[in-house]
Amino acid sequence: MRRRRLVHSPEHVLIELTPAGLGTRFAAFLLDAALIFGATALVGQLGLFLPEAIRALFIATASFAVLWGYNVLFEVLWNGQSPGKRALRIRVVDGRGLPVDVSQSLIRNVVRLVDILPLGGIGMVAALLDAEHRRLGDRAADTLVVSEEQPAVPRIEALGARRFNSLRTPRVKRLVDHKLGIEERELIYALCLRAPLLSERARYELFEEIGEHYRVRLGVEDPHLSGENLVRGIASLCAGTA
Amino acid sequence: MTDLERFVSERSPRWKRLEALLDEAQRMPESALGRSRLQELLLLYRSASADLNQARALTANPQLLGTVNQLVGRAYRFIYQRRRGAAPIQWKRFFLRDIPSTFRREERWVRRSTIALLLGAVVGFTAVIRDPGQARSLLPGQFFTDSPAARVEKIEKGDERIDTLRKATEFGSFLYTHNIQVSFLTFALGALTFVGALAMLFYNGVLLGAVAAQYLIDGAGTFFVAWVGPHGALEIPSIVFAGAAGLVAGRALLFPGDEGRPAALRASFPAVLRMLCACAILLVFAGLIEGSFSQMSARAVPHAVKIAVACVLFAAMNAWLFLGRAREAT
Repeated sequence: MRRRRLVHSPEHVLIELTPAGLGTRFAAFLLDAALIFGATALVGQLGLFLPEAIRALFIATASFAVLWGYNVLFEVLWNGQSPGKRALRIRVVDGRGLPVDVSQSLIRNVVRLVDILPLGGIGMVAALLDAEHRRLGDRAADTLVVSEEQPAVPRIEALGARRFNSLRTPRVKRLVDHKLGIEERELIYALCLRAPLLSERARYELFEEIGEHYRVRLGVEDPHLSGENLVRGIASLCAGTA
Repeated sequence: MTDLERFVSERSPRWKRLEALLDEAQRMPESALGRSRLQELLLLYRSASADLNQARALTANPQLLGTVNQLVGRAYRFIYQRRRGAAPIQWKRFFLRDIPSTFRREERWVRRSTIALLLGAVVGFTAVIRDPGQARSLLPGQFFTDSPAARVEKIEKGDERIDTLRKATEFGSFLYTHNIQVSFLTFALGALTFVGALAMLFYNGVLLGAVAAQYLIDGAGTFFVAWVGPHGALEIPSIVFAGAAGLVAGRALLFPGDEGRPAALRASFPAVLRMLCACAILLVFAGLIEGSFSQMSARAVPHAVKIAVACVLFAAMNAWLFLGRAREAT
């Protein structure tokens, strides 16, 4: 499990930064690499229009600038995102949750030289071993690549409240309010949000098993209510959307 | 309506407004945003911060918390960022004041990397002087010459190797891009392992010392100085500076001391950036000199002139970086 980094803002609020997954980062890396490759090829073609005397100078200098400048430029101007990172909704931030500055971006990209050493092995292993998935460059620059998957507007409906919620009685509502602790609620939410990703069988069994716990806990008597309906019903009561 | 439902329906218009303001702020410079909208953004950020705390007490709904967290995080990043573009970067000040004062302040690290390079040079030099056969095992193929004297003969008597502008720019640009990458690698190794930079410097010193000894034994000492001097006067210090920058960064990462790693790292960043900038600039000049002037034979430019140029370049670089009293860069 990836560890979240907590940042204390001066307003005494904890802001959680969720490290981006390694697969996502790798995909962003490939996308950026393709763009850098394309830009370098373009520079090579543009060079053909120049007089021979300075052609090589131009091509070498411009390719060099693209190779080293691409990430630094975008990370500074686009607030921690290169085009690849933007496409995959991840962002480099400073360890305190602030935007990266030029020196940090330069350092993390220069240290990439070591991170990519045997086919990217060092950086990969370093990121795998780190709870916040930082490669060596991120450690040296005290940066963090975070995921920004959250939608702009809360969608409580995603919990999938059922249209007819037989649990919506004053008695169950009161029991939910008084008996269920934060952890029990979180379990329900997590299950509801992940349900679409589970296989049919696992989904059924998991909902039945967990449903049984809440059935006993809240003394729900309706024997015809399936585990999933029961859990989703409780979830919508907890989230206050019922 | 439950508490939570009321909470969300009451606050979400403000969240949406904050989000819209942040989108706008991202698209245009701050000055175009105007005072009133900035103030509104600040107010909305504070209220969203309070909402996040309240939401944590009200619910464990991961989506709601995630959304508000994301929004507050984004606004926090905007509000507390270091201001860019408020004042234009003062290039003149950066080159003439910030970079030199950094070098003076970090002088001990420059000294340590110089020592590592010189130790390597002494080792390489004495090894080859005492046993010329050592050169073959010490030097990788590209630096090894069986008989330097014969090579010198060929260079001095044959055609000029670099006789067109095209060849000079081609070779020069290859050299400096390559050298910058080598010094970046030296920096990275130093930043991560500390001793990595010292080892790289030592190794480069060994190569330099061994090659110099080879030419000296063959009686081509003056040629060697005239050949390597003009670009070496900038190139060799550059790799020392890259190594020194690596040591500064490595010290902060590996031995942060009482202030803690993030603080130590952050304190080292400006120095590292300036040292790497100086190093890259010097290497561009060195590469262009190496691609043209350094390659000219004694017929075109007498050795004495080349050596004099080397001395002047070295002195100028030192005057730029180390003369004058150490001033605090801001």
